Amino acid sequence: MAMNNKLVIDNVTKMYGYGLLGLKKFKALDSVSMDIDLGEPKIVVIAGETGSGKTTLLRIIMGVVKPEYGKVLYKGYNIHKLRGSAVKWYRREVQPLFQDPYETFNPLRRIDSYFYDTVYNILEIKSRDEVERRIDEALKFVGLSLDRVAGKYPHEFSGGELQRISIARALLTHPKILLADEPVSMLDATLRASILNLLKDLKEKLNMVVIYVTHDLATAYYIGDYISILYRGTLVEYGPITKVYQEPKHPYTNALLESILEPDPTLREKYSVIRPSAIEIKEFLLPGCRYANRCPYAKDICWYKLPPFIEVNGTYVRCWKYLDYKEK
Amino acid sequence: MSEIIIVNNLDGGYEVYVGGKRRVFVHAVDNVSLILRSNEVLGIAGESGCGKSTLAKMIYGAIIPPLVVRSGSIKLQTRKGNFVELNKLSIEEMRKKIWWTEISYIPQNSMNILNPLKRIKDQFINVFKYHDMNIDKEEVMKYIKDTLISLSLPLEVINAYPHQLSGGMRQRVVIALSLLFNPRIVIADEPTTAVDVVTQRIILSLIKEWREKNKSSLILISHDMSVHAYMDNRVAIMYAGNIVEIGEIFELFKEPLHPYTRALIESLIRKGDKTLRKGLPGLPPDLTNPPPGCRFHPRCPYAMDICRREVPPATTLGRDRYVKCWLYTGRG
Repeated sequence: MAMNNKLVIDNVTKMYGYGLLGLKKFKALDSVSMDIDLGEPKIVVIAGETGSGKTTLLRIIMGVVKPEYGKVLYKGYNIHKLRGSAVKWYRREVQPLFQDPYETFNPLRRIDSYFYDTVYNILEIKSRDEVERRIDEALKFVGLSLDRVAGKYPHEFSGGELQRISIARALLTHPKILLADEPVSMLDATLRASILNLLKDLKEKLNMVVIYVTHDLATAYYIGDYISILYRGTLVEYGPITKVYQEPKHPYTNALLESILEPDPTLREKYSVIRPSAIEIKEFLLPGCRYANRCPYAKDICWYKLPPFIEVNGTYVRCWKYLDYKEK
Repeated sequence: MSEIIIVNNLDGGYEVYVGGKRRVFVHAVDNVSLILRSNEVLGIAGESGCGKSTLAKMIYGAIIPPLVVRSGSIKLQTRKGNFVELNKLSIEEMRKKIWWTEISYIPQNSMNILNPLKRIKDQFINVFKYHDMNIDKEEVMKYIKDTLISLSLPLEVINAYPHQLSGGMRQRVVIALSLLFNPRIVIADEPTTAVDVVTQRIILSLIKEWREKNKSSLILISHDMSVHAYMDNRVAIMYAGNIVEIGEIFELFKEPLHPYTRALIESLIRKGDKTLRKGLPGLPPDLTNPPPGCRFHPRCPYAMDICRREVPPATTLGRDRYVKCWLYTGRG
């Protein structure tokens, strides 16, 4: 089993329709491959701009969206082919955390009912004492308790608290992976740090693997260990985060990192100029590298052939810059 | 640098009638005084729910119930040099004389405000119609094209429907619309909240370039201190309806005085930084029933007895710099 203690995303391609009736298809994700070793706890960041396919990738890992080509293997099992009790097993192992804490919960439902439902339905524990113990344990981990939450409705909590509650609910099943989709983008800057510290705790204290989807590269670096960068459905770079930040390989990664604004007015003259994107769908439909339009190094081949995923000094990158394409 | 907007002791909020009887008053703007000079960028920073958008709406003059102004005045210097009191004008007068030509507004969530059933060119033509302008159609099209080029949007956009554009492009279209008549003052309410870093940089650079070319003034509202660091000349920090500190941008970042400003700057996560950070504990107060004294005292690490009882006065520290905190009343 040690060999199979991995989450493998193998050549996943997802098509979505567009146009008047949605009959024309474009690739929302194009041959994305990624290996995540579950043996060591870590935080893997999936970064990219709006419309880069990061949420689609997360939904595919979650099992709610099925890819057209390719597969996702969790500990050796194809998660889109699970049946019966295996589905429940996967739901226990992998839990989601959503972007907007105000919309995660039904405003007319009491918060604690979500906890009871999860324990009854997914864990199938029937003893009342045991159920309450599990719920309290999860809430204590995020700095709340069952007494504080019991009988209350979502509007009685702040955004930060609701996000803590969402994390606690996910922890009930003792999952191996937490899929966090922009968990702090709706929160104020002053509250962000505490939620991010909590995600770090999941890794350090509970030995979990957190997949953190974000467009904010400052917070990504703050908690991440590995980073994968998506652009218009293609994975352009994947590697250890310190390495990627110190020497970004792909021109897009470089642009992303340079566009982070620093809270320091003395730096304002140092930012470089970036080219704005063209119409989104046109970039998705490019047969070659999706970044060719905006790339300062674009060569002929970039326009018609998608570069392969190659290793350069420990990071994986999809760019013709690092390949002498005449040999191919 | 003449003063073009003077806000004096502005006080107001949202009046809500529940069941026709019991009145709830959300005190969102509490005794705010501000000055906007010509050709400058004034930032307003603060957490969500601190009243920054309400202040912007008041300055823009969109005072429609439940929003009410209880006291204070907003004066605008017109192009001729005399002052008009904006809060005394009716909506009809605002529309004819002030909006778009003098003051323009880039609303929050601006990517979602375009009419989904109209092509981009018709959205532009609508604006001309709203201002009772009769311009030759070809002239209008040429004008629209120039505006789009200046915001580096491709010309295909003209015939596109909003859903065909990405969020960042829609936002640029909205910005193009707001800047159509070269207003002297632009109020941008969180122009870049819902977009990623690259688009954010592009949009901010566009606004910056346009402003420098036209020598207009900009009031920029954002909760993101990095945006202020990039754009502003001066920045005002708002907390629970009060301006707690205001100052020139370089000075304020170098030496934040108010404990809240300090927390706001320190809680920011910077690029390439893995050191552990603490958020500011607690929540902004409920504005229907704000705490007595300094509104920040329940979260303030330096709270003293006097903070719980009395509202701190503004302590002026040099030109353009004041702070409302009891810690500094002995100084200056």
